Amino acid sequence: MLQHALLVLLLPLASAAVIALCLRRSGGIASILSTLTAAAIAGFALLLALNNERFSESFEWLRLGNFALSIGFKFDDLAALMLVIVGIVGLCVHVFSLGYMHEDAAKARYFGGLSIFMFSMLGIVFADNLFMMFIFWELVGFSSYLLINHWHENAAPAAASKKAFIANRVGDFGFLLGIVMCYWANGTVNFTELATKADTHALVISTAIPLLLFCGAVGKSAQLPLQVWLPDAMEGPTPVSALIHAATMVAAGIYMLCRINVLMVPDALTVIMWTGTATALYAALCAIVQSDIKKVLAYSTLSQLGYMVAAFGLGSLTFSHAHGTDTHTVVLAAGVGAAMFHLTTHAFFKALMFLGSGSVIHGCHHEQNIFRMGGLAKKMPFTFVTFTLGVAAIIGFPFLAGFFSKDAILYLAFANNKAVFAVLALTAVLTSLYMVRLWKITFLGAPRSDAASHAHEGGLALTAPLLVLALLTVIGGYTGIYPDVFSGVFDLIPEAHGSDHTVILLTSLAVMVLGAGASLTLYGCSATDSLQQKSPGLFGALTGLQLSFDRGYEYYVAKVQQRFALFLNFLEQIFLAGLIVRGLAGIVGLVGLGARALHVGRLNVYVYWFLLGIVILWIYATFNF
Amino acid sequence: MSTLPFDPLLAAIFAPLAVALAIACGLPKRFSVKLAYVGFGLPLLLALHVWFYYGTAAQTHGYAFLTSYSTGLDSLGIGLKLGLNGISLPLFVLAGIVGFAAGIYAIQSGAERLKIYLMLLLVMQGGLMGVFASVDIFFFYFFHELALIPTFIMVGIWGGRDRNYAAMKLTIYLTLGAMLSLIGLIALYVKSGAHSFDLIELRRVIAAQPFEVTVQHNIFGLLALGFGILVSLWPLHTWAPLGYGAAPSSAAMLHAGVLKKFGLYGLIQIAIPLLPAGLIQWSHPLAWLAVVGNVLVIGFVTIAQRDLKQMVGYSSVMHMGYAFLGIAAGSTLGVGGVVLLMVAHGLSVALMFLLTTSVYHRTHTFALDEMGGLAQKAPVLSALFVAATFAGIGLPGFANFWGELTIFVALWKFSPLITILAVAGVVISAVYGLRAAARVFFGPASPEFTKIAAEHPVSDLRWSERFPALILLAALMFIGFWPKSLSTALDATLSPAPAAQVGASK
Repeated sequence: MLQHALLVLLLPLASAAVIALCLRRSGGIASILSTLTAAAIAGFALLLALNNERFSESFEWLRLGNFALSIGFKFDDLAALMLVIVGIVGLCVHVFSLGYMHEDAAKARYFGGLSIFMFSMLGIVFADNLFMMFIFWELVGFSSYLLINHWHENAAPAAASKKAFIANRVGDFGFLLGIVMCYWANGTVNFTELATKADTHALVISTAIPLLLFCGAVGKSAQLPLQVWLPDAMEGPTPVSALIHAATMVAAGIYMLCRINVLMVPDALTVIMWTGTATALYAALCAIVQSDIKKVLAYSTLSQLGYMVAAFGLGSLTFSHAHGTDTHTVVLAAGVGAAMFHLTTHAFFKALMFLGSGSVIHGCHHEQNIFRMGGLAKKMPFTFVTFTLGVAAIIGFPFLAGFFSKDAILYLAFANNKAVFAVLALTAVLTSLYMVRLWKITFLGAPRSDAASHAHEGGLALTAPLLVLALLTVIGGYTGIYPDVFSGVFDLIPEAHGSDHTVILLTSLAVMVLGAGASLTLYGCSATDSLQQKSPGLFGALTGLQLSFDRGYEYYVAKVQQRFALFLNFLEQIFLAGLIVRGLAGIVGLVGLGARALHVGRLNVYVYWFLLGIVILWIYATFNF
Repeated sequence: MSTLPFDPLLAAIFAPLAVALAIACGLPKRFSVKLAYVGFGLPLLLALHVWFYYGTAAQTHGYAFLTSYSTGLDSLGIGLKLGLNGISLPLFVLAGIVGFAAGIYAIQSGAERLKIYLMLLLVMQGGLMGVFASVDIFFFYFFHELALIPTFIMVGIWGGRDRNYAAMKLTIYLTLGAMLSLIGLIALYVKSGAHSFDLIELRRVIAAQPFEVTVQHNIFGLLALGFGILVSLWPLHTWAPLGYGAAPSSAAMLHAGVLKKFGLYGLIQIAIPLLPAGLIQWSHPLAWLAVVGNVLVIGFVTIAQRDLKQMVGYSSVMHMGYAFLGIAAGSTLGVGGVVLLMVAHGLSVALMFLLTTSVYHRTHTFALDEMGGLAQKAPVLSALFVAATFAGIGLPGFANFWGELTIFVALWKFSPLITILAVAGVVISAVYGLRAAARVFFGPASPEFTKIAAEHPVSDLRWSERFPALILLAALMFIGFWPKSLSTALDATLSPAPAAQVGASK
């Protein structure tokens, strides 16, 4: 109900405010307060979602003339699903952080940041109009900035946080223009009103609006060409990477697209589909050559986000039903269903793997290079088992969560666009390849460093969240076990039948086995990358591909933007500041008063001069107008 | 309903002036300082009082708290008429808040010749309260000059680097701007035939008998140019970064934060309603100057700055571009957005100047390349600075966001192309804002700063710096979370006035 929703939204804000104002020096209390808040959010989220109460309500926030901006709650099945994901993953990450950040000096700032993030993210979930979504959209960007920059005394996090915010701002430039354009075209940006207009065919059809709005998703969900910020964002603490840069915030772009599904037109969907497909493939290629455990997961996240965006872009499915003599066609918004389904399962298994990597990093005393690990299966058996489940899920091992959601996307691609299907299948091979590589090098073989040989499991705070997420990774793909409460989303998931079903199933199994098999044979448990040794050319090409965007942007910033700025600054200083003011001073000198008489402390002279000026001007004005 | 036994507006104007007079008459220093708290505190309390009671106060001709006093110049149509409408209320409150913050910061600053410094600031404060409380154009202008003159003196005496050159340049530009706008105002008086400077009377007369279109064009042009100089419209802005770079922090806070808004306020309160055809004539040139000059060119120039205080000065020039864009767009939304932005910018730029000075006290330099890692030693300063930076780049939750958003929405109706260029500015401001924050506070300390920190131990923000900064930040966030606290009054004043709608019909 509304009161609960308001409470869910405002609790983390209150928690952040209390931490900022009173608990700056008491990290212990701050962490407990923030975690309790997260627990309350998770509790209310389940209560709201499972009670099957859906509502929408809005309050005016600002009015000027005919323009009104509201803060509103649209709580339908889509929002309920997202709320549950944010609530559960959020709680897991908070609990994990209790252990992971236990000895951090700035614990209060960290947990305050998490609370701000929860507030901002929940605002996106509840938002009933685009302006409100934009507001919280910017706020999640801000909390992401804060948390990436947690260890600000190092240069890398400081640079990464700045990069993340600016890349997002570039996306938001388009997003904001899209919102404004949608407002003037349709007179509203409220999701419900837009849907009503679409039903009555009163909606203004335009390709520019959905494409501009998609820019927001390109920034937030790190799609090509703005993906560069996400791998760098791994400079933040690992639980933050799990919550913000894997499970929830980066998925907000997909959530937003599903919200504005009614505005989509075929041309826009094509662009979205190919952007997602390209991102999926590009990131999978980059992931193969990473040696930092978090970077592998980051590129994997990019790739999976590309999957979701591609799924959305693949659009709807049309079925023909024969009822006796007349057939009628049913259009299913399968893109929304498949994208949201994969978002859900991905949130669970990717959060699981990120927290698992956090457990590994914690166990190995902040070692992140997988080639300096090895043999962790024996040292950290619990982490090993849960991480293995995560890997199995993402590569589409049968009957785990990722298997179902990936098949849904592959089927949709198979039905709507064979080229996309081929690329996504290839991506799935690569996914299987780099995930098994990561898994084998990290956990199997013998320890290759002191840190790895002394690795140990963390406490209950670190293992309990892994257990919960592992459980969800196992059962998360069975939409049947969710009660009817999310049917508004899950009914949209495309399901293959007949021969299509066989094709998809075989493809999916084949790509998994192919990638995993290649990986198991190619990579040994050694301290060097086997691909780099066996095929340095290919390895170098992939590294070059990974760096190409960063190099391009660095060139632009240093050689184009900065030089242009310096050039304009030069003009500013020389022409405007130099010439014009000298000219004016000359005029004043001509009048005969001299600059000296009217400045610095000689108030009486100034006043006389001023009064004389008024008289002259008065006379001038009286005669000339 | 206000229940004060006296006129709060008059008291808010004359309290600081009276304290300034007392100090001028030779009050000993310790009493002067104590009394200065009263001089800065009373306007704030009264401003908050009228803000709170504005909604329930009786309105006459659209003004609340309306009173008039005879000045003996009635034959010329000059009377001290005070009142607040939805446009002036937010700025009156702004003047109260920023004045108080700047005042208590100055009291604690330990400046040389503190008594004279405080006296000048108090005169400025009285003038500022008067500017926004005056319904009479003559006094509106008079109070502006009253506040402006101390600025010149303060820059000249207490200024930093290049203070003489800066003071001269500031004086020339601002006097020129003020003169041009004065010609416009006098022309308005003469041409209307109202024989009154009273804005209410002027509106009535002009509504009955509007100006010819060419007259409107000319007067609006004069006002736009004159006020434009005062608000640093490109390319007449060069006084601003230089002047603020040299000005002592409290003077910069009051001038950039409040006094500079005089020009925009004049355009909104006087020029737009009285000269609607003038706005239509000038809106396109004005918008192009603002978007290409202030937003884009100055945006890039800001990126190129290597001096923190210059950067803040330039960023302030850039943000004024948005204000001109809102004015060009016209309509309740655009003009209302400008008022919101004026308040927000006033608070945030004052905060920024305050914190910049605090940074300087710790780094002993404004050069961005010679800083770094200050957050480790001064976490509160860094948190406040980051908050001020994000306020400046329009993050939701701070007042600035509402101003920028409403201006962008209004601007699309005026010209989509200009809107696209203007929105690009939000990326530019993120680039320079975050870059500066990172250079000053994050990463490892630069060798220069390590050396300075070894010589002068760095402490976190003292309460005398923290308190005024928190006041400004609280105000920014209060409006950011509850924009209706200003927009309700603003909407009530702007919406019924058909003049403000003219721009929208274009």
